[in-house]
Amino acid sequence: MRLLTERTDIGLRDLWTDEDTVEFQVDAPRAHDVLRTLRDDPDLAFFMLADAAAVDYGIGQRFEVVYHLFSWKHPGWLRIRAHVDRAEPRIASITDLWEGAMFHEREMYDMMGIVFDGNRDLRRIYMSPDYRSFPQRRDFVLPDDAADSSAAGVNPLERPETWDLTLFNRAPAVTFPTSELRDDAPGEAVEDGTTLADTSRPR
Amino acid sequence: MAIDRSAGSSPIVIPDQAREDGLLREFGMEEHPQGGFHGLLEVIPTKADYILDLIRANSLWPLLSGLSCCAIEMMSTATSVNDIDRFGMFPFRASPRQADVLIVAGTLTTKMAGPLVRLWEQMPEPKWCVAMGTCTTSGGRFKRSYSVVQGVDRVMPVDVYVPGCPPRPEGLIYGMMKLHELVKQRRGQWATYVDRGPQRTRWEGDVR
Amino acid sequence: MTRIDPETRIPDPIELDRAEEDRLRSVAGLLPLRTESGEYAGFEQVGIPDRPPQTDRERDVYSLGEGEMLVNMGPQHPSTHGVMRLVVKVRGEIIVDIDPVLGYLHRGIEKLCENATYTTVLTYVDPMDYLSTMHNEHAPAIAFEKLYGIRAPRRAEYIRALVVELNRIFSHGLMMGFLALDMGGITPILYAFINRDEIVDMLSAISGQRMLFNFFRVGGVNFDMNDEFLSRLGTWRGRVLKNIEMNEGLITGNEIFRSRTINMGTLSGQDAISLGVTGPNLRASGVPFDVRKAKPYSIYNELEFEIITQSGGDSYSRYLQRIAEIKQSIHLIDQIIDKMPHGPVQAQVPGIIRPKPGRAYGAVESPRGLYSVYAISDGGPNPYRFRMRDPSFISLQALPKLMPGRLVADTMAVMASFDPVMGGVDK
Repeated sequence: MRLLTERTDIGLRDLWTDEDTVEFQVDAPRAHDVLRTLRDDPDLAFFMLADAAAVDYGIGQRFEVVYHLFSWKHPGWLRIRAHVDRAEPRIASITDLWEGAMFHEREMYDMMGIVFDGNRDLRRIYMSPDYRSFPQRRDFVLPDDAADSSAAGVNPLERPETWDLTLFNRAPAVTFPTSELRDDAPGEAVEDGTTLADTSRPR
Repeated sequence: MAIDRSAGSSPIVIPDQAREDGLLREFGMEEHPQGGFHGLLEVIPTKADYILDLIRANSLWPLLSGLSCCAIEMMSTATSVNDIDRFGMFPFRASPRQADVLIVAGTLTTKMAGPLVRLWEQMPEPKWCVAMGTCTTSGGRFKRSYSVVQGVDRVMPVDVYVPGCPPRPEGLIYGMMKLHELVKQRRGQWATYVDRGPQRTRWEGDVR
Repeated sequence: MTRIDPETRIPDPIELDRAEEDRLRSVAGLLPLRTESGEYAGFEQVGIPDRPPQTDRERDVYSLGEGEMLVNMGPQHPSTHGVMRLVVKVRGEIIVDIDPVLGYLHRGIEKLCENATYTTVLTYVDPMDYLSTMHNEHAPAIAFEKLYGIRAPRRAEYIRALVVELNRIFSHGLMMGFLALDMGGITPILYAFINRDEIVDMLSAISGQRMLFNFFRVGGVNFDMNDEFLSRLGTWRGRVLKNIEMNEGLITGNEIFRSRTINMGTLSGQDAISLGVTGPNLRASGVPFDVRKAKPYSIYNELEFEIITQSGGDSYSRYLQRIAEIKQSIHLIDQIIDKMPHGPVQAQVPGIIRPKPGRAYGAVESPRGLYSVYAISDGGPNPYRFRMRDPSFISLQALPKLMPGRLVADTMAVMASFDPVMGGVDK
């Protein structure tokens, strides 16, 4: 596997080999050219993009866009990690090499906020178009209070301090009319535990 | 439109001109906050409404609102091995206008909450909602997710909760049996408009 | 009550001139009813937000030409793939463009997995592609075992392959049912669910759950095969070929089915690779790529099977491909049961595993394609980054390439032949 990477001759760094994966890292501006070479070179022939993922390494750190490629000629997967600056996350889009990268890049934009230059359709794919945050970043804080989340409808049952414990001592709000003909019809007040739903068994 | 439920006011609005003729008079509904007939007049509607409730219970038509994995178990309940057709629920209507029950099967996300509430509002009364699975009951296994509505009762009123992840088809059928009890318990209260309270809680993504 | 002056005459819109109506609408704050050709359609057409288009493609899709119309399919529609919304630009009945709107089932599983231990992650990934749950668990199990540096015992690998092939059989069977259902045929889906219920009862005997089997563990599987599982397996195996052929006989020669699927949605091999389509969809277009052969995982290099491909690339080929794969899976199950070794079913692994820092990529062949997991570990009990690549998500990109020029009713048929599952699409 070493000789194939020496062939590309494009200033790679950090080559790493595992039992079935070869991995190297590039800088963001070069990623597109590296991938083009990997795809078009007849000896390399990495014709299939298996996965394109984004990783956030922390608040002061970098992003990484990780591509996994497959070729008939080489055993194992090839992993390319492209370093993207976290302050200005831009990288060239590979939709001109593989059309199937469109949804990958839209998802990376949606979840991490990485902008792909040259992508004709870089809009949010999972969240609503007016969502204002990037959920998979490390500094995305899930608000504890359910009322602050974007699906708020505050459910008082989840906050015990709002429970009204005098509820059970009051008279019921609804009274049903009496019926002279049916003796199992509810009377003036409906007590808990005596309605059909509570006393009947599943048939 | 606000219907005044305080004692002493009639929930039925009678136009001014009609008060003059003796044919139309109020039935004295102010004693019954839920409406309905009173006294001897209750006998006839009670019997007919009991049968009406039986008919409704035995032919509840669900709306196809399968969102996620519970939808597959709902479909499994609907197909041959666990047949829900024996309870009259075979036609899973695609249009909410023709459906009685909204079985919310699957995780409700914030993006889907709007369309689902719109579906619920498009269903005509009488309608019921069954929250199938733990995702619709309370958010389920996605408890701390940023995009899952923690229980469908945050956005619409639920009648029956069927827990499980996913509930077995027998469990869903048991939930349907409970719903039948609920329907049959109505006992004539559909004769007039029943105030079910606010149809849903307001949520932040609400467009209205 | 407002009093209307009886002298006022509200003009009938029909009487208004076109320009006058537009002027009134713009005064009222509404968008003009008839847009110029090529103008951005906006909110009134189909419920897209009333804002300028964000991207070039959005502008292309949502600008209407002469005689074109935007129609919404979904998110709730009778086709049973789940909640997906297709904004279809039609001219009459012919589709001009499609824009899939996803995310109605996005549950944030990747983010949730960053706060879960490695074993819990294996339960979180179940409801992604809920029809092929075992594959959903297999890929992370492979990745985590690579991170941790262990191998599962051989018996565990054989049991894994067995349940994975069973899962593939009922998932493909369901695809056949859904394909017929989306075209209006109701019987095959009932047969498919009978088949699924048999297999799922068998799998519930071994894993305890009917659908979201929490079966895989890092280092093996949870339970060994038991008597009930084996007896159900035997009974099922005796009947399955006849059942599949009965179901197939309903559909394959059916004139309506053939005319609706042959030469529909033809995807060439080159386009399929470029689009990232994998799995039976790719093999039906002629490309012999099967992860079980290309990158053998588990014990697939000990089993004998051939890669099946079809030569067309249309929906009918995809359907035939899946039937052939069902039969191939049955053949694989026979071999697995013959070769099943004795031994433990789970490696000795602590309850909370803390692998060394590193990265791992595990890929499996799910019924929808290449399903892979990229996991990064930082030495703690939770994965640092857990990323799943779902095949249905990528296969959906084929739809805007295939559908223009076709009729609206073919959309569902073609989409059903790609067999997307929205749980996987939206994660």
